[in-house]
Amino acid sequence: MNRSDSNKQSSSGEQEGAEIVYVKDNVAIHPTQYASERISGRLKLIKQGGSLLMTWIPYKGQSSSARLSEKDKSLYTIRAVPFSDVRSIRRHTPTLGWQYVIVVLSSGLAFPPLYFYNGGVREFLATIKHHAYLVRSADDANVFLVNDFQDPLQRTLSSLELPRAVSVTNTPSSAAAPSESPSSWTDGETFDRNSALAQQNARQRQKNNDPARDLSIQVLEKFSLVTRFARETTSQLFWEAQGDGFIPNDRRKHDKKTHDYPRIAESNNIQKLPEDVPVPEDPLEFDKVSLVWGKPRQPPLGIEEWSAFLDSEGRVTDSEEVRKRIFYGGVEQGLRKEVWPFLLGYHSYDSTYAEREYLVSVKKSEYETIKNQWKSISKEQAKRFTKFRERKGLIEKDVVRTDRSISFYDEDDSPNIKSLRDILLTYSFYNFDLGYCQGMSDLLSPILYVMGDESESFWCFVALMERLGPNFNRDQNGMHSQLFALSKLVELLDIPLHNYFKKNDCLNYFFCFRWVLIQFKREFEFEKTMRLWEVLWTHYKSEHLHLYVCVSILKRYRRKIIGEEMDFDTLLKFINELSGHIDLDAILRDAEALCICAGENGEACIPPGTPPSLPVDDASMYYQQDDDDVL
Amino acid sequence: MATSRNKNMNAKLVLLGDVGAGKSSLVLRFVKGQFIEFQESTIGAAFFSQTVALNDATVKFEIWDTAGQERYHSLAPMYYRGAAAAIIVYDITNQESFERAKKWVQELQAQGNSNMVMALTGNKADLLDARKVAAEEAQTYAQENGLFFMETSAKTAANVNDVFSEIAKRLPRLQPAQNPSGMVLMDGPAQTPATASCCS
Repeated sequence: MNRSDSNKQSSSGEQEGAEIVYVKDNVAIHPTQYASERISGRLKLIKQGGSLLMTWIPYKGQSSSARLSEKDKSLYTIRAVPFSDVRSIRRHTPTLGWQYVIVVLSSGLAFPPLYFYNGGVREFLATIKHHAYLVRSADDANVFLVNDFQDPLQRTLSSLELPRAVSVTNTPSSAAAPSESPSSWTDGETFDRNSALAQQNARQRQKNNDPARDLSIQVLEKFSLVTRFARETTSQLFWEAQGDGFIPNDRRKHDKKTHDYPRIAESNNIQKLPEDVPVPEDPLEFDKVSLVWGKPRQPPLGIEEWSAFLDSEGRVTDSEEVRKRIFYGGVEQGLRKEVWPFLLGYHSYDSTYAEREYLVSVKKSEYETIKNQWKSISKEQAKRFTKFRERKGLIEKDVVRTDRSISFYDEDDSPNIKSLRDILLTYSFYNFDLGYCQGMSDLLSPILYVMGDESESFWCFVALMERLGPNFNRDQNGMHSQLFALSKLVELLDIPLHNYFKKNDCLNYFFCFRWVLIQFKREFEFEKTMRLWEVLWTHYKSEHLHLYVCVSILKRYRRKIIGEEMDFDTLLKFINELSGHIDLDAILRDAEALCICAGENGEACIPPGTPPSLPVDDASMYYQQDDDDVL
Repeated sequence: MATSRNKNMNAKLVLLGDVGAGKSSLVLRFVKGQFIEFQESTIGAAFFSQTVALNDATVKFEIWDTAGQERYHSLAPMYYRGAAAAIIVYDITNQESFERAKKWVQELQAQGNSNMVMALTGNKADLLDARKVAAEEAQTYAQENGLFFMETSAKTAANVNDVFSEIAKRLPRLQPAQNPSGMVLMDGPAQTPATASCCS
């Protein structure tokens, strides 16, 4: 054991009165499979007051690879994590290669595996055991639980908080002296015996489960993905733990223990899983630890920050940066009116204040002209104009039942409901071939709420419909191409789930029809929908982020879907009832991660021209002859 | 299709009809006993289940509620395929919705299964002042086409549970395909409908 009490060299996170109780050099992380990109550093355990802290600091200027910048390295630095925030430590002893440990926080996040090039895992654990409350998991001899007070409520609460970091307990380590623990291994011999026995058990267990599974290779593969992402976004690296067992391919995952960690805690549909239905692993999970790479959400873009993006004449100087900013945080409500026309493509980023002012006035009179086309239809004319009457009737039926719970639309004779009607009817003349279709009022409602002005709302809606119009085609081809792309993405990102849908005749993905048709409008409360839309409209990571949002929601509930053996009917009911229970921020982070993970293979799943991409061929995109369509 | 086990059976039921006729409101009234004045339009489809108790048996309805707009017509066969029963809904204050209901009846007769129990329902029966479709006209049409007919109000709950109970009684039980005429007869003597939920 490398106890170095006398070693008082300071590093970040250390303060007066801190005692270093363990230090180990050449403890490395492996961000990629390339040996040249490994990052070595020094691991320390520090005792301060009643708490035990862990740090891992990469060595400076020692990198053998130019591809690893100091910035990259600092991403992985572990700065003074108190053990009150640690849930568990898993030890891995591959047959080939170095021993490593994975430290999982009580928040569910985890650090990348720490490889002990010079040995010392046992001393590391023994030292923790000496200073904090550490017990070996009854389920897996290689898992060591920290602060495990067997409190299901606490566990559930902490899992609810995913992925934000919260401490399960602030109980100082002194609360559990080693002598109180059920099996003391302060005695080295006892520990050795236990550990040998445990390793034997673990080997046996692994053999029984899946002899072909090579954990170390999986770790390397996962890390190559993560590192690519970390480089691209300079985001922090997080892992999310999902279970309390940490054993791959372990059926225990499906027994009632799992219910202490309902992954679907935000749903009100939690039910116990049937005990006998095996749920295949999510291929993107490693070791029951799935990656949450998505960058933490930021506060929405405010007026001051926005102003800084504009030059003196009102041009957006760096539209890429603006879109990125909005992708990660959205826009403050008061600023949406100014920003949405850019996101929707109604205003161009390089236009000046004066140009936009001019455009607005020109477009206003253009709107009035189109509106007058139907306004000037007399009663006598309407009698002989069935299509017009029916179209108007359909719109009138829908606007009085669109978002009536929002105060903006709640009065029976609200001028805003009238504006909804006028804009939709005008649009059905502007784009007579497409006409009006149910769902359009859902897409317009938030736009009118934000823009206020009727003409401005109309032109923003027109811009949105340039991309989403094909959703409403009579032959459903816009919807079919998106649902097809969705099925391909699930096949790419979660093959067991794909196989489940295939087996149960669910590959048409019609249970996601509402999500896609109106961009999740019915799935979130009004404010959340606006947040989601502005993020989607940035097209920052992908034009088709909405499909990755679908995949991330499905993956979040995969265990329930497969575990309860949902058929198409049940699945559609379940999906519809998720409305109001989806955690938007978490889903956006997952969607970002999935999008990056899928990379070019993901884009290859999405045929050119799939909405909301602009159509490949503009000609006759809407007009399709129909036999008895009343419109 | 209706499937039965002992005296308890499951039956797939689909609601079809014009935009705004009140399909979703009928289901909401039947399944949850609720009414929402400005019920949102249905996007895609919705699925519900509710059990009706008869004297000696129960029928669990698996209900598909569909979008009314003609534009989504191509999706409808997915939902009515294999259905044991259909409720075709129109709005008594809207003549076009009754014409549309007739088209649905024709389509089901052409493509549905001959044992399907069909109900024609004139909804919004509380809006008597605005009535455009006479009950007699609908009743005659229903008789001619082998449907049973009721006027309902999802708003006041009038006749809503009765429609479902009546369908439950008419579902073919263990003796399928005994009605060469396509008419579905009640098996056994008439029973007092015992509805599953509190209001009727």
